[in-house]
Amino acid sequence: MAHSAHSEHAAPAILAEVNPAPLPRATLVESKRSFNWVTEKICGIIEGPTPRWWWISFAVSCFVASFTVIGIAYLVSTGVGVWGHANPVNWAWDIVNFVFWIGIGHAGTLISAILCLLRQKWRTSINRAAEAMTIFAVVCAAIFPVFHVGRVWFAVLPGYLFPFPNSNAIWPNFRSPLEWDVFAVSTYGTVSVLFWYIGLIPDLAVLRDRFYKAGNKFKSALYGFFAMGWRGSNRHWSNYEMAYLILAGISTPLVLSVHTIVSFDFAVSLIPGWHTTIFPPYFVAGAIFSGFGMVITLMMPLRAIFRLEDLITQYHIDCMCKIILATGTIVGYAYGIEFFIAWYGSNPYEGFAFINRAFGHYAWAYWIMITCNVITPQFFWFKKVRNNIVLVWILSIFVNVGMWFERFVIIVTSLARDYLPSSWGYYSPSAVEIFTFFGTFGVFGVLFLLFIRFLPIMPMAEIKAVMPEADPHSGHGDSKH
Amino acid sequence: MADSIYGLMARFDSASEIFHAAEQVRNAGYKHWDCITPFPIHGLDGAMGVRRSHVPKFSLIGGLTGFTTGMSMIWFTGAFDYPLIVGGKPYFSPLFAFPISYELTILFTAFATIGGMFLLNWLPQHYHPVLKSKDITRGLDDTFYVVIEARDPKFDLARAKALLTQAGAKEISELEA
Amino acid sequence: MSTHAATISSATVSASAPASSLSGSANKALTLGIIGLVATAAGLAVSGGKAVAFSYLTGIVFWTGIALGALFLVMIHHVFDAGWSTVLRRQFENWLSCMPWLALLFVPLIISAFVAPGMIWKWTDPSYDLAQVGGHGTVAQDVLWVKKSGLLSTTSLVIATFIGFAGWSLLANRFRTHSFTQDTDGDIAHTHASRFWTAVGLPFTALSMTLCVILWVKALDYHWYSTMYGVWFFAGCVRGALSVGMIITVWLWNRGDYKGILNNNHMHSHGMLMFAFTVFWAYITFSQYFLIYMANIPEETFWYSLREINTDGQFNTWGYVGFFLLFGHFVAPFLTLIHYPVKLSKTWMPRIAAFIAFVFLVDVIYNVMPSLKKITGDAYPFTSINLLWIATSVVGVGGVCVWAYLNSFAKTKLIPIRDPRIGESLTHHE
Repeated sequence: MAHSAHSEHAAPAILAEVNPAPLPRATLVESKRSFNWVTEKICGIIEGPTPRWWWISFAVSCFVASFTVIGIAYLVSTGVGVWGHANPVNWAWDIVNFVFWIGIGHAGTLISAILCLLRQKWRTSINRAAEAMTIFAVVCAAIFPVFHVGRVWFAVLPGYLFPFPNSNAIWPNFRSPLEWDVFAVSTYGTVSVLFWYIGLIPDLAVLRDRFYKAGNKFKSALYGFFAMGWRGSNRHWSNYEMAYLILAGISTPLVLSVHTIVSFDFAVSLIPGWHTTIFPPYFVAGAIFSGFGMVITLMMPLRAIFRLEDLITQYHIDCMCKIILATGTIVGYAYGIEFFIAWYGSNPYEGFAFINRAFGHYAWAYWIMITCNVITPQFFWFKKVRNNIVLVWILSIFVNVGMWFERFVIIVTSLARDYLPSSWGYYSPSAVEIFTFFGTFGVFGVLFLLFIRFLPIMPMAEIKAVMPEADPHSGHGDSKH
Repeated sequence: MADSIYGLMARFDSASEIFHAAEQVRNAGYKHWDCITPFPIHGLDGAMGVRRSHVPKFSLIGGLTGFTTGMSMIWFTGAFDYPLIVGGKPYFSPLFAFPISYELTILFTAFATIGGMFLLNWLPQHYHPVLKSKDITRGLDDTFYVVIEARDPKFDLARAKALLTQAGAKEISELEA
Repeated sequence: MSTHAATISSATVSASAPASSLSGSANKALTLGIIGLVATAAGLAVSGGKAVAFSYLTGIVFWTGIALGALFLVMIHHVFDAGWSTVLRRQFENWLSCMPWLALLFVPLIISAFVAPGMIWKWTDPSYDLAQVGGHGTVAQDVLWVKKSGLLSTTSLVIATFIGFAGWSLLANRFRTHSFTQDTDGDIAHTHASRFWTAVGLPFTALSMTLCVILWVKALDYHWYSTMYGVWFFAGCVRGALSVGMIITVWLWNRGDYKGILNNNHMHSHGMLMFAFTVFWAYITFSQYFLIYMANIPEETFWYSLREINTDGQFNTWGYVGFFLLFGHFVAPFLTLIHYPVKLSKTWMPRIAAFIAFVFLVDVIYNVMPSLKKITGDAYPFTSINLLWIATSVVGVGGVCVWAYLNSFAKTKLIPIRDPRIGESLTHHE
């Protein structure tokens, strides 16, 4: 209330009448915890003994991941024919899985970047894990487009994906959205890792010092190497915060552009059902929707296992549910507009593509998609639902499933029924394809388990910064800035 | 001579205490001094008299470089070195060159921003007197320190100690160089 | 709050004094508005019904867009449980008082669909001869219209416009009533009620706005289609409303009302929003253009071709307007708003805001006016007497909006004093 004191002019009379009706904000860290409690809680996870459930989950994840490894080895040694796609459906599960995983990654960047810009302080408890999720999801996503070329070495030879001078003297086709994808996804992966790492530095320094104090020289040196000699200097924080804000600022257009470019893969073509101008924002909304589904799927068990209820509060869950509700409804708007314009555009092929989606051979997939993506989130209107953790978790699984089916519907239905009825087909995945996709959940699990074992799963510095005691003016009437 | 020590490190127990202490040290006219905090404290830059960071300048240069790289790369490969008609599109158009230039803008900005941050902070710096202090663990956990360096022209051990005590320091220790 | 109590006596004077001059300004705005409307009506005698009707449509879509943007911003405030924007929200609530007047001002266009069918929207008259605009046959013989006839009819135009304005006016009324009543009774139930109306209002406004803008603007060229259109209009509306909000903010600051209420951080956050929506608009508009360019289907590209080249291949004035939109609506605001000091400047921000609002108008012109075609099928050039009728319409409708705003402003508190987030808004930092 110090503004009046600082203003040279007398405060307007209206300020005297200000008397806010009470509606307290939710606290972000419950039970009035101290700074030290936060440090102990989060470092304790890393410093404590490896729990048995971790070993069990790790073993299971490794086993599941082996499906991907074996499936891919078989594909490389045999040929891309081991997957189920054939004319006319030449993009199938591989691209579905690619878009699915990339989309999941988007929530991580959304939480870390967009919510940072919007000053949504509740992001702090979940952003570290969500960013890790982003990186691991990009890893899983990248597997598919790289390997669906079959002879995978072509993907890495100079001049095919990245523009290096090569013996054929040709360059990649920069007019192709697939080439844009190469740049978009590799930039996305790189910047996500950088952003994540920058966020980790202060927390790594904490671990460095704690391990040093505990006498573990090796771990102290290891964490210390990556902590870059961070010492909490405020002159450093000043540059650090600016860099972090800029990274958030550029990650926001980045995350939007990545799924936009993914949507361009489809939308610049002439395939009925693919060429529609709303694809960019619609894909982005869908990506955020699925990503938040995955964040909830991952965080709810972590919250229960590590007893993090004071850090991931009911308020956090409420916020995430509401974002799922909002983005799910935006996706519903896009479905509606697509259908409407397919009719309004009066292009018979477009019209057929959409009727076929809803009532054709793949109608089952379409209605799974509608149920999971448009109807499921509507439950989050109700506070009772949002308060029921188990139900929230189950609904988040529906969201994940629904968004996988959305990509399946978009890609497969349009290709299976394109312009020429003589080339129509019906696509079914092969066993290799199914197991390769199944295995990526193992790959993701392995990486995520390693993350929660060895790195702080929450950004300690950021959580402390949003606690009430962190405000230098707390309990004082002399605020100024 | 004060050069046998690196400086003084004074403990404060709350964000609001260090905020006011920083204002006092700033007003006393010191230049080479710092605050050690476990998290960025809002407004502390102002209290310390630290100017707005120069990182954005690095970012801007990185971004411009990235955009130019993208555009010129696509022009060079598609319209100059090996012109080839694909899909009825022109050899070069800023339109289809835009997505990749945009991505490269962001990529280069990210590297420049982080590089700039490390450069301005002079990191990595694995040896530092502050890191040798036994208190640093707490300094990154829940306690706040003001460090006044001995190389500051105004530094005088007794007067600096008096200033910190007056500012409400709970404990003052000397840091060895 | 004790500090405020001490300062009341010295400052009470300034708050009540401008009330009389305010009603004077309101009357001036109304007079100006009526002059604008009369001048537009006089234009009928000069340029004929068609050109003037298109110009008037431009003006009313522009101001309706701004009002819708304000409605969206109020709802976005409630849905996010936002804090800092509470002060700003009150001015948007005042602005929303123009909604019923906009509905009234739209009526002449609806009447024209009955009196002179086909004049604005060709499909309101199935016997319209398309040869007048470079086509052939009548609308009724046009297979594309036949397919769309379920939607493109006078009946649906009337129904959609009615539902739209009725719903928006109802929402505007609810948000205003709850917010203003809370000033007196301080009942938290008003905040909850506003959130309820937001939950209802957001999907409703999204859908009704899309439908209305499709019928009012996109269907001027009913062959063309783009799924992005509703989102494009949304982006423009919010930009327009934010600009008006910025102008009001600085106006109140200069008047002295906001001293002690507004600080740099409000300016910064407001500027950030303007920046964000600049980028959003660019994203939407670029995506729409780019996808149509890359896919290169004649059914879609003709809409942009009309706005770039004539049928003889000559680059036309609309091509320059397109470039102006690219630079004026994106590049210039982007490069200025990105700077921190600019966002705080009370000299620069109203100018930038006025410029953005102006370019939003140009964007609406770009979407509406080229549908006014010559017999060759080319668009009438951008630079024509129609610009005068657009100007009179903008002044006319705008005068009424400003009058409605000032009237509401005079009757309500400067800030929502009992809002649960007002304290946060007054101490907004960072």
